[in-house]
Amino acid sequence: MTLLRLNNLSFGYDPHRLIFENISFAVQPGEVFCIIGPNGCGKTTLIDSILGINPPQQGTIEVGGIHLAKLKPREFAQHIAYVPQSHTKTFPYTVLDIVVMGRTYATQGFGSPDSSQRQQALKSLEQVGLKGFEERLYTELSGGELQLVLIARALTQNARIMVLDEPTAHLDFRHELVVMEIITWLVKEKGLTIVMATHFLNQAFYLENAGVPTRVALMNLGKIEAIGSPSEVITKNNLKNVFKIISTTGTTNEEGIQRKFIVPLKNIR
Amino acid sequence: MSPQKKTIVTIILMMLPVLFFFGTICIGRYYVSLTDIFLTLWQGLTGNSSGISTETTTVILQIRFPRAFQGAMVGAALGASGAAFQSLFRNPLVSSGILGVSAGAGFGAALAIVLFNTVFLTPLFAFIFGILAVILSYFAGKIDNTSTTITLVLGGTIIQSIFSALISLLKYLADTATQLPAITFWLMGSLASTKTADVFLALIPMVLGMAGILTMRYRLNVLSMGDREARTLGINVRANKATIIGLATLATAGAVCISGIVGWIGLIIPHVGRMLVGNDNKWLVPASMSLGACFVIFCDTLCRSITGGEIPLGIVTALIGGPFFIYLLKKTKGRSW
Repeated sequence: MTLLRLNNLSFGYDPHRLIFENISFAVQPGEVFCIIGPNGCGKTTLIDSILGINPPQQGTIEVGGIHLAKLKPREFAQHIAYVPQSHTKTFPYTVLDIVVMGRTYATQGFGSPDSSQRQQALKSLEQVGLKGFEERLYTELSGGELQLVLIARALTQNARIMVLDEPTAHLDFRHELVVMEIITWLVKEKGLTIVMATHFLNQAFYLENAGVPTRVALMNLGKIEAIGSPSEVITKNNLKNVFKIISTTGTTNEEGIQRKFIVPLKNIR
Repeated sequence: MSPQKKTIVTIILMMLPVLFFFGTICIGRYYVSLTDIFLTLWQGLTGNSSGISTETTTVILQIRFPRAFQGAMVGAALGASGAAFQSLFRNPLVSSGILGVSAGAGFGAALAIVLFNTVFLTPLFAFIFGILAVILSYFAGKIDNTSTTITLVLGGTIIQSIFSALISLLKYLADTATQLPAITFWLMGSLASTKTADVFLALIPMVLGMAGILTMRYRLNVLSMGDREARTLGINVRANKATIIGLATLATAGAVCISGIVGWIGLIIPHVGRMLVGNDNKWLVPASMSLGACFVIFCDTLCRSITGGEIPLGIVTALIGGPFFIYLLKKTKGRSW
């Protein structure tokens, strides 16, 4: 069974200049689907289409067999939760105010979240390792903590699919690992399906080696070049063709952790 | 903020407008005591004479009561729509006039003064042109069937400056002996004209607008996350935005009908609210209404009692509001936002 399916999807802000064209793939329940590719290849635009923000010029998106275009925002939020690439902080809400917004679709009429929904938000905060942060002002958090708060908000939505746009873009090594551990937990323990765009190709190897069903789609110039397991797609040859770089792959067994990795060496242009 | 502290602040914010309301009725050149007020109200409710002079009941019921009540409503409406617009536009520097409602209303009022030479149609024209200006801003900022926050603000700025120019044109054309002073005073804002009963009609859009904003106030939190996040959290962004703009415009346009253009309230009152109850609009919107009501009553009391005549309200709100805002800024070290 397929959870999320894209059929021949095309989109361009200007209909005569498509950002991506004829994209088709199917995401299976309980897997991490990584979208990789150079800057400007259309990753974020594709994610916006999956989120229903860029209605496609051609093609359809189905979530669990339902056409995405037919879903109201309230219904949409029950299927797909989203963690943005960057977030502009405008007002210093408390962390709990932010996380409980994940229950927006479940609030009655024009009302606000009730105490059981606040409890759910507190539980999500605890699950991402931020117990005790609920009364802190979210404007005063570090970049890593903010990212975890946004993941907790998406988790509070209780959706089957979580879409993350470059979840570790501004994070240090440790917070990158924390986010990867949470993603592993989301898939293995919570049974979520993840779609994520990333520039950090080693994250696909991390997930694969952690025993998470992982697939990678390599995008270039608005098309999908390759799709498959991390080891199949993230190869020296593919990176040379798409990123125009020389790279090398290797394997480590440090501290008993079996892990594949890739290192960029040289720009060939 | 701890729940206990929040409860205490909430109770204070609910009591404060009532205190200010009765306080301002007592203050003025004609002496009125609190007992007089209660006896007058008792007399009005039961119909039994309570031995209060007709002069006192006239001052209370015909002059100070309507003025205090409408002042409170103006303050509450401007406070609520200021808070709504700041969240909606994700900008703490936005006030209730951001989409041109004040400039449009100013033009409408000036037009009525120049065309008809009477104050009777002024509130109606102010209301109509205030709403018209917001509709124009909305369409000016609409590109490809959608209006992003930034193009809306841009549209508002453009419409505002067009109406400001038109106000200047009317001032230039106006009769300098009678019409020009009338326009100038109207633009400075005042509650002096609240004796006339027809102004009570303006309460209808204000109450509608405030009730709507109160109902939808939690959505403001979600909308302040930005269009993309608000949508994925489950909100129809375009419909909610348009509704809230409509409600805030009704509230502001109604307020402007009564008081003319009074600056500062929609800008600073939500900030004072944030310092007291935080940023959650569930608490912030009612707090802004309460604080706005208190602030207008307070400033208007000064307007009518400091000198023998009337000082325009807009001057006092800016002179009191500005320094008070600086004080709060220093005291909280800008941490609340």
